[in-house]
Amino acid sequence: MGRHRAIKQYRPADRAGQPLDLFTGRATRTPVILELLRSPWIVRGSQLVSGPLGSGKRREEPIEVVWDGSKRAPAAFEWNGTRYRVDALVQTWSVERAWWDPRARMSRRCFRVLARGGLYDLAFDRHEGRWLLVGVVD
Amino acid sequence: MDGAADVGALVERAAAYGMPALALTDHQGLSGAVRFYRAAKKAGIRPIVGAEIVVEPVGCVGDEGDAPPTARLPLPPLAGFGRAAGQGFHLTLLAKDRTGYANLCALITRMHLGKTQRPSVAGLEDLARFSEGLIGLSGCPYGEAGAAVLAGQASRAERALAALARCFAPGDFYVELMNLLVPESPRYVATLVGIAERLGLPIVATNDVHYVEKREFRLHDVLAAAGARTGLPGPYERQNAELWLKPASEMRRLFAGVPGACDATLAIAERCDLDLGLGTLHFPSVEVPRGETPYSTLAKAAWDGLGKRYRPLTPEAVARLERELAAIQQLGFAEYFLVVKDIVDFARSRQIRATGRGSAGDSIVAYALGITDADPIQHDLLFERFLNPARRQMPDIDVDFDSRRRDEVVAYIYKRFGEDHVAMVATIQTMGARGAVRTAARALGFPPREIDALSRNLPWTSARRLREVLAAYPECRNHPLHDQERYGLVIELAEELAGFPMHLGTHLGGFLITKEPVWTWAPLQIAGKGVAVAQYDKDDVEALGLVKMDILGLRMHSAISDAVELARARVGEDAVPEPFDLAPDDPEVFAMIARADTVGVFQLESSGQRNLATRLKPRTFGDIIAAISLFRPGPLEAEMITPFIRRRHGIEPVSVPHPAMAEVLRDSYGVILYQEQVLRVAHAVAGFSLAEADLLRRAMTKDRSRAEMEAIRERFVEHAVERGVDRSAAEEAFRQIEGFAAYGFCKAHAACFAVISYASAWLKRYFPAEFACAILNNEPMGFYTPRAVLNDARRHGIEVLPPHVNRSDAEHTVEADGRAIRVGLKDVCGITQRTLAAIARERARRPFLDLADFLRRTGAETPEAESLIRVGALDGLGLTDAGRPPTRDEMLAMLPELKAVIAREGVAGDDVLLIAPGKARTPECPQHPSGWSLLRRVSAELEILGLSISCHPLELADDDLDRCGVTRARELQALDDRTRVRVVGVRERAQTPPTRSGKRTCFLTLEDATGLLDVVVFEDVLQRTGDVIVSNRAYLVEGTLQNNPERGLVIVAERIEPYVVRARDGAPVRLRRAVPSGPLGPQRGLAGAPEDEQDPACSACVQDP
Repeated sequence: MGRHRAIKQYRPADRAGQPLDLFTGRATRTPVILELLRSPWIVRGSQLVSGPLGSGKRREEPIEVVWDGSKRAPAAFEWNGTRYRVDALVQTWSVERAWWDPRARMSRRCFRVLARGGLYDLAFDRHEGRWLLVGVVD
Repeated sequence: MDGAADVGALVERAAAYGMPALALTDHQGLSGAVRFYRAAKKAGIRPIVGAEIVVEPVGCVGDEGDAPPTARLPLPPLAGFGRAAGQGFHLTLLAKDRTGYANLCALITRMHLGKTQRPSVAGLEDLARFSEGLIGLSGCPYGEAGAAVLAGQASRAERALAALARCFAPGDFYVELMNLLVPESPRYVATLVGIAERLGLPIVATNDVHYVEKREFRLHDVLAAAGARTGLPGPYERQNAELWLKPASEMRRLFAGVPGACDATLAIAERCDLDLGLGTLHFPSVEVPRGETPYSTLAKAAWDGLGKRYRPLTPEAVARLERELAAIQQLGFAEYFLVVKDIVDFARSRQIRATGRGSAGDSIVAYALGITDADPIQHDLLFERFLNPARRQMPDIDVDFDSRRRDEVVAYIYKRFGEDHVAMVATIQTMGARGAVRTAARALGFPPREIDALSRNLPWTSARRLREVLAAYPECRNHPLHDQERYGLVIELAEELAGFPMHLGTHLGGFLITKEPVWTWAPLQIAGKGVAVAQYDKDDVEALGLVKMDILGLRMHSAISDAVELARARVGEDAVPEPFDLAPDDPEVFAMIARADTVGVFQLESSGQRNLATRLKPRTFGDIIAAISLFRPGPLEAEMITPFIRRRHGIEPVSVPHPAMAEVLRDSYGVILYQEQVLRVAHAVAGFSLAEADLLRRAMTKDRSRAEMEAIRERFVEHAVERGVDRSAAEEAFRQIEGFAAYGFCKAHAACFAVISYASAWLKRYFPAEFACAILNNEPMGFYTPRAVLNDARRHGIEVLPPHVNRSDAEHTVEADGRAIRVGLKDVCGITQRTLAAIARERARRPFLDLADFLRRTGAETPEAESLIRVGALDGLGLTDAGRPPTRDEMLAMLPELKAVIAREGVAGDDVLLIAPGKARTPECPQHPSGWSLLRRVSAELEILGLSISCHPLELADDDLDRCGVTRARELQALDDRTRVRVVGVRERAQTPPTRSGKRTCFLTLEDATGLLDVVVFEDVLQRTGDVIVSNRAYLVEGTLQNNPERGLVIVAERIEPYVVRARDGAPVRLRRAVPSGPLGPQRGLAGAPEDEQDPACSACVQDP
């Protein structure tokens, strides 16, 4: 069963009260989720965790990223031996912190992407010149 | 000021991006507006002038204080907005037109001048009142709406936006969207878009630009931290470095979801069409009699004045006045002259000394009106240098007033033109090496003591040269900044901070006078001195075409007034003529100048000028003008002095490329010394009119490309050849003009100064005690320390009497029929005005009998009494059991007990308190009433007064000096050129002016008991001894004496060692406070008599070995 079938809807008219799939497939699900993520009145679970990048689960794992130069965004990444094709770019942001302190400085360009039904925060570390997976909301 | 973008770079980048318009919104003001406006116009970009101001919170329901703390909206950090920081929320205003600009100026003025409910914070009523012609943007994330959205208070954001929008005309208030690429940005933008839709307000995308390039973000962080007086990360705690100037494509990508927001920027740019009318001149209104015009009033006054100045009136003067008046009429400057005349007339009517300076001296109108005092015909001064009929530019007449009474003149200006029509002009204070190092180190969190150590002993130089200075300057050899590991980032940041504006200062004397209220032209704010100051500097004011008057204070005027008053009090009112009215032809005065006896003389006293005087041997007033002109950074750098002196003394022949130049350059021996001579040469050789010639001079003195200069050259040469001048001669003439035009000095300026120089020299020659006394009473002024001025008076046979509570006034006074100076009490370290007044008051009743009587009647505090005792001001008062006055030690021992008794028993009654002297040291010198040795007395004088009264400190070391074979200053004149000498002196000045060769040379002015010593330290010796010079106050110098007419009298140093001044018994004399020390270089606030001028430089008269 695809992950898009995990979300159900209940119709009062349906006397049997059986839940029905809300989304008929990935194609209908992705734009709705994107819209929801952009909605100001939604508080994401990730924001309930007070991490510096606002991720549900913070990580600092080096990963391989396939860069799409035309979109100026990651096209895919490989994590734990699995290749994740980026379905959508949700948000980008930039981090430049503690530049005066060589032990604590951080200079990153971050991308929150939707891939395989999960939300992943990828960061390119400018100092180290490598990609990191810095957060996962799955 | 946390913007790290240079206006020029910002405009250049915007032009490179092809942006049609750019807005500059300084915090709480328009400081950069005019510069930005001009730069943008030049680059073909539409300038949008605006400001980011602080507005009171408007979106809360009820009082914010009543809400629970968690529900309160946090205010922006305390940074970047002066005293309004953290007092309200940010709002951006843009001027659509001239009305909007005037309203913006008025609103900002109202805020800063405390006319709003909260200081520097605009209220809704203020906004509504001044919103005509303005477009409002809801602000950055520190705007109320933005802050509310980020805090999750969308309803508050909506209320705030609705309230703010009501202040503006429909369609003139935009909801500002910023995507700062932080995690909250999408939610921030989406919420604001939603609210804008609900309220029916337009949206606009903006970029919170604080720097041009991304890499400059560090500078912004440091400046913001400095502004908030905190360390990094600074008050804003920026999450990233995204406040750079992004191109349109990048902005459109950031706002891909709301393309209309980017389109709105273009719409706003279309609507903002401000024309500041640069190039139009705006004069203040002047009242003229009924039936008269400003021109007729001016002409009548000028003719009237001409009759008084020229007796008999000469045809030349008449013709010249007619010509100048016609030009003034043509240019429409009559009102300007009347304004200056009005102010000078007021000063004269109150006997406030006033003299014009600068190129105004070229005008016979200014001379006839009494604004300037040098005769333009006699000194061959050219009107075209001052006002060029071919170039309508606001004239600039600077006037020096008696420093002490300048406030009276300023008060008159405010009264005469109206409080709303006058404001002071600002200056932009920028960062030098010291400021930049301090700012960077403070931001990086170094402790204050360490920061002091880092900036101490750094030369006064640009921060850009920091590494070079640290590597090359010997005085920086052991500087802590050499620790690259610890301070590498400090240096890096300091270099980037070089020349950055730190804050707005107040111009020393620049006043802006306008016909309309001044706050419709420029925003005002309150300066540290408590006066209203415009946010524009003199260049901005000039660009706006407004009248700026320089009302400068000149301490030399005060000193001359004091000296005349003292002299008249001694010898009678009629026996002392007004020094400014004297014919400058007294051979005694010129002889005094020629022997370099000029300590205290205006503009002629510096070591370089004294050296020049011995070489020039001035005989006429024209020679004084030449000396003042020669000794300027330009002529010094161009080494004009050497050919001038050599030709004057016939060492080399006077040669000019064309005979027509011989007459023009006769006074300066064929050297183009004055700017006026450039005009004359162009007129004589190429046949240019004087107005054309002035345009040529101006063109040549600006930075020109090679091609432009070549075009100017060709034009000059072609004109000359057409007139029959040989081509090679014309080319040579141009080469000389080209070489010297940039360095020549305005003769009129020098002539105006020379009048003051002569007056001060005359007073020094005939009333030396009064003159020295007046100089001392007006310190700080001039080139020398008060100690050196007093020592100079002593060398002129004037006795120096110590301060005494029964004989001294607060000020220094003249006694013994002009043969003695009594040192005043005001220089006693730590003495208060209250005690000085009490001493004068009580002494008028009867003299003080003893220490107890003094303490009881004056109520002097213990430290004050201690200083007075130690300096000898109570010597000889009272009697001890031994039948003699108590010594200083005995008085010091009695002091605590006396103070305790007075405190216990009060001060009532006239009983003399009898206290037996406490236990004190045995008198070291029983024959002196103080009981103190000479060494102790001199040390106390140096420490407490900064003067040496009993004797020169080096006199104490006479035996040692003899033993070391030291030559005294007064013996040098008799020695042959190239004699090897060894001298010892205490430091007066150490300067390192720029030289043509680029090598660093130090000019060291020392003083021994017999006179001043001029020592030059060339680069190789300076490399070895720089740290010795910087960290000591007295030196032993070995070197070669130069003593010839061409080079003057100077010692070329080969070895410099510290010298510790010791008395016979080996005890050292403490020179601190009286003798300067510290870094080399032009020291601010010390040199040069005019308070607004840096000391030009030191002598460049010594032959490089």
